[in-house]
Amino acid sequence: MTLLIPETYPKKLIDKNGKRLDGRALDELRPFKCKIGVLANAHGSAYVEHGKNKIYAGVYGPREVHPRHLARPDKGILRVYYRMSSFSVHERKSPAPNRREREISKIIEDALAPTLFLELYPNSAIEIFVQVIAADGGTRCASTTAASLALADAGLPLKSLVAGVAAGKVDGKIILDCGDIEDKAGQADIPAAIRMTDEEYTLLQFDGEMTPEELETAISYVKKGAREIFAKQTAAIKEKFERIRQETDAENKKIGKTDINPDDDMLGDEDSMDMPLELEKGLERVKEDKTKSSDKSSKPEKEVNTLKEESK
Amino acid sequence: MDTPQVISTVQKKYILDLLKKGKRIDGRQFLQFRDVKINADIIPKAEGSAEAYLGESFIITGIKYEIGAPFPDSPDEGVATCMTEFIPFASPMFESGPPDIEAVEVARVVDRGIRHGDCIQYKELCIVPGEHVYILFVDMYVMNYAGNLIDTGTISAMTALLSTKLPKAKMEDGKVVWDGKYMTIPINQIPLSITFGKIEDYIFIDPILDEELVMDGKLSFASNEKGQIVSMQKSGEATWSEEDVVKCSKIAVQKLNELRNTLNLRQYTPKL
Repeated sequence: MTLLIPETYPKKLIDKNGKRLDGRALDELRPFKCKIGVLANAHGSAYVEHGKNKIYAGVYGPREVHPRHLARPDKGILRVYYRMSSFSVHERKSPAPNRREREISKIIEDALAPTLFLELYPNSAIEIFVQVIAADGGTRCASTTAASLALADAGLPLKSLVAGVAAGKVDGKIILDCGDIEDKAGQADIPAAIRMTDEEYTLLQFDGEMTPEELETAISYVKKGAREIFAKQTAAIKEKFERIRQETDAENKKIGKTDINPDDDMLGDEDSMDMPLELEKGLERVKEDKTKSSDKSSKPEKEVNTLKEESK
Repeated sequence: MDTPQVISTVQKKYILDLLKKGKRIDGRQFLQFRDVKINADIIPKAEGSAEAYLGESFIITGIKYEIGAPFPDSPDEGVATCMTEFIPFASPMFESGPPDIEAVEVARVVDRGIRHGDCIQYKELCIVPGEHVYILFVDMYVMNYAGNLIDTGTISAMTALLSTKLPKAKMEDGKVVWDGKYMTIPINQIPLSITFGKIEDYIFIDPILDEELVMDGKLSFASNEKGQIVSMQKSGEATWSEEDVVKCSKIAVQKLNELRNTLNLRQYTPKL
C-alpha cells in the first residue's frame, strides 16, 4: 500500500495560549449535530455529526433471530453491527469486518442493553446497524450516541438515552472530546458513554497513562460533554415530533377538524385496554422509573443550562 | 412505513391492472425517472465522494486511491475497481455478511459503464509504465433500498469520480513521491445508466421497490455523451424481443441525454 501523502502529526498539540489544534479550549466539545428518521426503510434511524465524524445508525426489530439457536426463550437479544466504510479513513480500509469492529460492536451492545426492556421480547432480536461514513476520532462514542437515538426513533420503550464522548490527555493536559490527531498522538484516550437518567457509565475504556487525579478530571469532563450532547439528542427527537404535529395540524385544518387536542388520549381509558401481561408489567416499570427519576432527570438539563450561562 | 419483503399476488395484480390503464403505482409515467438529489464532497478523508438519492433509493460512494502495479496486459494504464456493499439497515431483506450476488451485479454493471466508452482516461493514470499506476477504488454503500440500485449507483459513482482530487505523483530517486500538487481524474465521457423493468408486455423505466419485487425482469443500458451504448445488462427471467431491445436502446440514449443535461455532473469537478 503506497500513498503519496502520509498522515503526519504536529509535535505540539496545545499552543502557548492553551488552545488546541482546532482552537478549542481544553474542556470544549467539538461541533455536534444530530437528526432522527433519516433512513426511509429502517424502523428507526439517526444521523450524527460529531466533529468531522459522520455516522448513520439504523434499527430493525424486535424481529426473528437468525440463526435460530441464538434466540433466548426468556428475553430478547440486542445485536450491534459497527462498521467503518472503506473511505472513512486516510488509508482505505478493507470492507471485510475486522477484530476492532467486532470489539466495538460488542461494547456498544453492552452500552445500550441497560437502557432497553429486553425481557419484553423473548425469542426476538433488536438489531442496530451503525455505519461510519467519515471517521475523525471517537467513532465508538459518536456511534453509541447515534445508536441510542435510532432506538428512540424506532419507538422502542427506553429507560434512558445514552450519550457518548471521550476524554484524553495530550501534552500533559486533560482534554474533553479527543479529535483524530489528539486520539492518535496523545498520551491517553478514555472513550465513555453515559446513561443520562441516572448518569451511570455504560461504556468505559482506557488506553494510555494517567494518575488517578487526572482520571478524576477526565471523568468530570466526560460528564459535562455528555450533558451537552444529551440536550441536543432530546432536541432532535422533539424536532421530529414537533414537525409531525405541525403536519397533522395542517392536515386537520384542510379537512376541517380544528378542535383536536393532541394531548387527548386517543386510545381511551388505559385501564380497560387489553394488553399482554408482560407488556403491562413493562409499562408499569417505565412509569415507576419515571416517577423515581423524575427529580433526577430534570437535573441534567438544568445543569446544562447553567453551564451554557457560565460559558457566556 | 414497513418495507414489503414479499408482495402478495393481490399486489402484483394491482400493479399490473394499473399498468394496463397506463398508470404506475407511484403516479409516474412509464418513461419518467424519480427525482434525483446529489451532494458531492461529503467525506473529508476520501479523495472524492458523493451521496445520491433516486427517489428514496440512497447510495453513498467514496473514492480512495493507492499507487500499485498495473495489470500485465495493460502496463501503461491505471486501474479502477468498483465495489458495492448493501448495508443491512438499507432494507429488512439485507443481511450482514459478504456482498451477495445482487450487490456484485450492481458493482459489475456500474464498473462496465465506467470502464468503456471513453470515460476514465486510464493512460493518464499511469506514472511509470509496467511499474507504478494509480489504482482507484470506487466503493458504493447502499444506505436505503427503494428499487433500481444500478442507476442510483451510476449517478453516485460518476459524481464521486468527478469530485475527486488526487495528489499528483512524480519520480524521485527511483521512488514515487507527491509533487505537492493535485489533479482531477481525467474523464472524457460521462456515462449514465437507465433500467427498464418488464411485467408481462409492459415496459417502464426506473422501477421502484414494489415494482421490482413483482416484475419479470429488467434490462439496463448505459450510454455516454456521444450517444453510444456502452454497457447492457439483462437480468431476471423476462425475455426480450429484438424490437423491444432496439426500441429501449433508442429511448435509453434520449432519456439519458436529458438526465445528463439536468444533472450537469461536471459542476462537481473541484477547482484546483
